[in-house]
Amino acid sequence: MSSDRSEVDVPPLTEGIAPGTATDPDVGSDEAATVTVDGTDVTVPAGSTLLDAVDAVETDGYVPALCHYGRQDIGPRSECRTCMVETESDGVVPACSFPAEDGAVVDTDAGEAAEARDVNLDLVLSDHNLRCTTCGKNGRCELQDASIDQGVEEPRYGVLDDRDQYEPLDDSSSFIQIDRNKCILCNRCVEACNDVQVEGVLRMEGTGNDTRIGFQNGAETMEDSTCVSCGHCVTVCPTGSLVEKGIENATTIPIPGFNQKNSIGKTYENTDSTGSSGTVGRSDNQMTPQKRDQRTLESEEAPPESDGPDVVDPASEVWDDERRDWP
Amino acid sequence: MFRTDKMNSIESSERTVVRVAAAGSEADPPEAVKRTDARVVPVGSTGVTALEPLVAVTRGGRTAFHARCSVDRLEGVVAAAEEADDVTAGDPDAVVDHDPDATRLPAVDLPGLSAGRRDVLGACGWRRPTSADDHEAAGGFADHDAADVFDAGADLRGRGWGDACHDDPVGESWATARDADGDAAVVVNAHGSPADALLLASAPLEVLDGATTLADAVGATEVVVYASSDDARAVETAREAVEAHPDPVVPVEVVTGPPEYRAGEPTMALEAIEGNHRLEARLRPPGPERVGLDGRPTLVHTPRTLAHLAVGLRGDDGDEGGDTRLVTVRGDVETPATVELPETASLSAAVDAVDVDGTLKAACVGGRFGGLTADLGVAAGPDALADAGLGTEGVVEVLSEGRCLVEFVGRRTRYAAEENCGRCVPCREGSTQLANLLRDVYDGEYDPEGVAELVGVMERSSICEFGVNAGRPARTATTEFALEFEAHADGQCPAGNCFDAREAPEVTTST
Repeated sequence: MSSDRSEVDVPPLTEGIAPGTATDPDVGSDEAATVTVDGTDVTVPAGSTLLDAVDAVETDGYVPALCHYGRQDIGPRSECRTCMVETESDGVVPACSFPAEDGAVVDTDAGEAAEARDVNLDLVLSDHNLRCTTCGKNGRCELQDASIDQGVEEPRYGVLDDRDQYEPLDDSSSFIQIDRNKCILCNRCVEACNDVQVEGVLRMEGTGNDTRIGFQNGAETMEDSTCVSCGHCVTVCPTGSLVEKGIENATTIPIPGFNQKNSIGKTYENTDSTGSSGTVGRSDNQMTPQKRDQRTLESEEAPPESDGPDVVDPASEVWDDERRDWP
Repeated sequence: MFRTDKMNSIESSERTVVRVAAAGSEADPPEAVKRTDARVVPVGSTGVTALEPLVAVTRGGRTAFHARCSVDRLEGVVAAAEEADDVTAGDPDAVVDHDPDATRLPAVDLPGLSAGRRDVLGACGWRRPTSADDHEAAGGFADHDAADVFDAGADLRGRGWGDACHDDPVGESWATARDADGDAAVVVNAHGSPADALLLASAPLEVLDGATTLADAVGATEVVVYASSDDARAVETAREAVEAHPDPVVPVEVVTGPPEYRAGEPTMALEAIEGNHRLEARLRPPGPERVGLDGRPTLVHTPRTLAHLAVGLRGDDGDEGGDTRLVTVRGDVETPATVELPETASLSAAVDAVDVDGTLKAACVGGRFGGLTADLGVAAGPDALADAGLGTEGVVEVLSEGRCLVEFVGRRTRYAAEENCGRCVPCREGSTQLANLLRDVYDGEYDPEGVAELVGVMERSSICEFGVNAGRPARTATTEFALEFEAHADGQCPAGNCFDAREAPEVTTST
């Protein structure tokens, strides 16, 4: 019975991990199924989603499925909704997180599904700074690929172009650079960090348009986080949000004076080990902070369930949409 | 202390009974009242708070009602009734003759209370909220065959967005949960809705009766009552009612979640109950009825749904037949009220139960992300509301003549942009871009096709009902009140709020 299931050996390390994300059910099918995609029959094994079937054929409509990763048990996050397809039985559904049931008939070219993919891709772009020419992932970016394949020329809602709204570049780690202005919140890095590496460093935090990737110890910078610099987050990042230091300008268009840092304008720099930032647990010549020490220290200061900026903001507790001026 | 002999139901009392119905905690009755033979019992709100404290003096089959009766006046009312040996003494606002053993608030001709029916609301303002005796005297705590419960579930539709079966018949999910592996759970999701908070505060045993009956029928091993930490009265009453329940078939626990609106979404409710510090919606299918609380099959229903089940199983849902809907009217009104309407009655019957501030211009029908309409002739049932493009949350927010609807919709959309859980693009980025499109109207760029396209994608591809509904104010307002938007694009605000008033104090609402 399921009551036993939850008591299967959970490594003690995971107890304190709080990624801030929902516990999704397993969305794969219960058994193998034959699905018709744009007129072609595809048989997929148990545990498959409609996207597995869609991926197996040459579809009529382009299905970016941007946030989908499909390896290492990462995802489906199903957040970007650029995988919407029309099914005969259930209407428009997200292919990446909809079980492939026997007899399902999928149409990728249907107007409403195609419109949803198109609009949702533009919505992703609306919150992306699109400074490709100074981006270290230029030419190897899944968002760039999807936008080209989709034929995006002028996104409906523009792009994140207001430099006042940019989050500072986090260049504080010796190994990993974070540019949240390019983040599409696919959550792959959070899952790689927590579910695969079981490090418990990254988390999803905030709500609405303030949603961001942050650190479970409440740190503002990578340097002050409990990161062990394993680099898994970098390998799964679909965009230029997480890049390896040293190649952050590898694919920058070589115009003198233009680089990733000054494209953003604000940067968290590395503080020296003897610096005044009060960095905890770090000593000279140490590559990564002593995370055990720091975690202990953090938990003494504040219980994990009540720390961090994503706990209830008192100002937003009471519904009052007269709070600020409109327009 | 009161004379509250807890072993007896009020209805069996031979003495004069004085019910004090109020939404807040009652002041202690004056000494003089306590010295009389009358039995003073605090009961919950009727839903029509404008009349409260509402004092009902009952002797035998006759009840006299005194509206807005302060503690000081209560003394005089009771004294007069006792002295004259006549409940109608003391100048009551209404007198009703009824069955001496009445277990629900009798129909009374007072503003607000005369609207609709009182089947599900019957206990509110009449029975002591946490008295098992009162509930039992009304036919509660009866045993029901699982087959009868499932029969009732075939026709019962989930009430409110907090219900995992919102507007859908609940029976199918019950069968799924019963047949699924694992120990099932029943979650009573009372988060956020005023009618649900009312039921929990005034008739919690009706809700618990429905929940435990359902738990028994599907073989669930636990009931969790979940409410906003802001609804202190409802939470406290629910806890007392759990204690008072004479024989719950399964353990019942009361849990609170953060007060944010999104925390009422069924899967975010499960996240909150499980103790996640940050709430976001879960993917589905499979829904909670297969994989819910701690991975167990879980039925998430609102107190409204469960009270309808309990009342329906007793056959206590009126002679006229047909389903009813709880409708809360708030917004630009003197005092909000919750009434119970037959599904065929029009929403205007609910609005008639309150005093509108000024003249009604429009209403936002269906909760925070309801649809805007000027026509309240639409029936209260979910099919009629859906056909009219309106919401079925059971809340009618009145907007009076001075309101600018462009401003209202803009603020509501910005609220969606700030308060969504942040998970899916159509809701997170869509609501932000929708707010931008509405703001552009003030710069002369009104793009109704763009609004319609974006709202359509939000409705079609969001993970949960928050995003599905977030664009409804904008969609309905741009179709029904297009002229207002066009006027704003021309630099005119018909209500006179927006342009010259940018520096003026903000409009305030009573919500």
